[in-house]
Amino acid sequence: MRSVKFQPGKKISRLSVPTTDGWKPGAENVLSQLKPGSILAVQGDLGAGKTTFIQALAKELGIKRFVPSPTFSLMRSYKVSPAVNGIKRLIHVDAYRLKNARELMVLDLDEELSDGGSVLVLEWPEKVEAWLAARMKQTVKLSIE
Amino acid sequence: MPVRRKSRKALRILSIETSCDETSVALLETSVARGSISAVKLLHHETATQIPIHRRFGGVVPEVAARTHVAELVSLLERAGIFGKGKSKFDAIAVTKGPGLATALRVGVEAARTLSFATGKPLVGVNHLEGHLASAWLMPQNRKAWKFPILALLVSGGHTELVLMQDYCRYKVLGRTRDDASGEAFDKTAKLLGLPYPGGPELSRLAAKGKADAFKLPRPMLDDPSLDFSFSGLKTAVRVLVESKFKIHDSKFTAALPDLCASIQGAIVDVLVEKTIRAAKLSKPKCIIMVGGVSANASLQEKMAQRVKQDLRGVKLLAPPKGFYTDNAAMVAAAGLWRLRQGKVDQWKKLDAEPELDI
Repeated sequence: MRSVKFQPGKKISRLSVPTTDGWKPGAENVLSQLKPGSILAVQGDLGAGKTTFIQALAKELGIKRFVPSPTFSLMRSYKVSPAVNGIKRLIHVDAYRLKNARELMVLDLDEELSDGGSVLVLEWPEKVEAWLAARMKQTVKLSIE
Repeated sequence: MPVRRKSRKALRILSIETSCDETSVALLETSVARGSISAVKLLHHETATQIPIHRRFGGVVPEVAARTHVAELVSLLERAGIFGKGKSKFDAIAVTKGPGLATALRVGVEAARTLSFATGKPLVGVNHLEGHLASAWLMPQNRKAWKFPILALLVSGGHTELVLMQDYCRYKVLGRTRDDASGEAFDKTAKLLGLPYPGGPELSRLAAKGKADAFKLPRPMLDDPSLDFSFSGLKTAVRVLVESKFKIHDSKFTAALPDLCASIQGAIVDVLVEKTIRAAKLSKPKCIIMVGGVSANASLQEKMAQRVKQDLRGVKLLAPPKGFYTDNAAMVAAAGLWRLRQGKVDQWKKLDAEPELDI
């Protein structure tokens, strides 16, 4: 069993997830809190289940393509069609290889997020805390233990 | 564009690779006699590895990567001797256009566009993955055995794909990773064992002294009928195993480290080999090539050779020349040559980096 902690704004909710295939309710819950421009910060150690969770979220958004790890490429994006809650695109960023927020600048995420239909899912948010701190209002935090 | 020359005319391709860690430049000469390639010669090849810089930063940092690419590329081009006066030193330019880090790719693409504009020579944008496929073709004896269809296992830090090559420039992806790449699986499980970045090669080194059946780890996707891979669950399995049985860095852990490494490597290698053999039985290739950084892994090479010999009668297993497993410009020149011979030329005005390019 895994424990997932959601922190949308001030309220915190918890969810227990069996290790396989039980991510759907969690993904539905998280999705209901996202809107265009949102950032979902997904925290968790190597092997905690971040990938599996994000794949479940992509499935809820109707994305049929694989959602492979963006560790190497840093960023991948997926079209959401038809749009879900106004969300037309999922941007998946992995800060695992980054050292600090300054290095995130080259991805120009503010520009990417300003198109009116995108949500950003960010893995390893603790690596780029300063960047995230300035965008707290639009951020939903999630940690997987 | 004067791509097709008279008989026995040499054709020189200048190539540039800047998709991730490496800045690399090559000058490849081919002799084309009566329409077919009779000789391939690497006149110049130099790679400025950025690993020392990245080790300081603990990863490939895009901004740093782009900046060092600029400085290194200019000096590498100068050392390739292409800026001299007199008759032109190359007949075409090939450059990696994607996939890769956008900022890093752009350095190479802009340089190539500028060279094409300034010299009027044809420009070819190359898919980095196609470059890896072409790396095995750089070996003279492989070119003799080169008969389509060819099944390619492409394994690196960012990629794990099974590609069926039906002809030059005609490819079909048969399977790919659904989550982590195999090189990433090596690096991240190594991290879980406390090994320093990049942990993959160190894990393989330790694995040589251990027993692969010491710890039971899952072989993800082996029961799945598809030719896809999944390595993300292996991290969880290793994490659970380490947390339940050891304290990292105590003497019991240190003593078990070679066995742990061998068991992890065994799990990754088993899946790569099994799926490749399965793909070969379905697609009936004449050759199998194994390319990309992870294909340098000794255990993978050994197990694959064994299984190909045992299960696939008459199929040849081909590897790139030593030193051409990881990113390099020579493979980009080779893929560029394939494209050029098929008339697939790009206009300098239109060529752009494509970070998310697929094969």
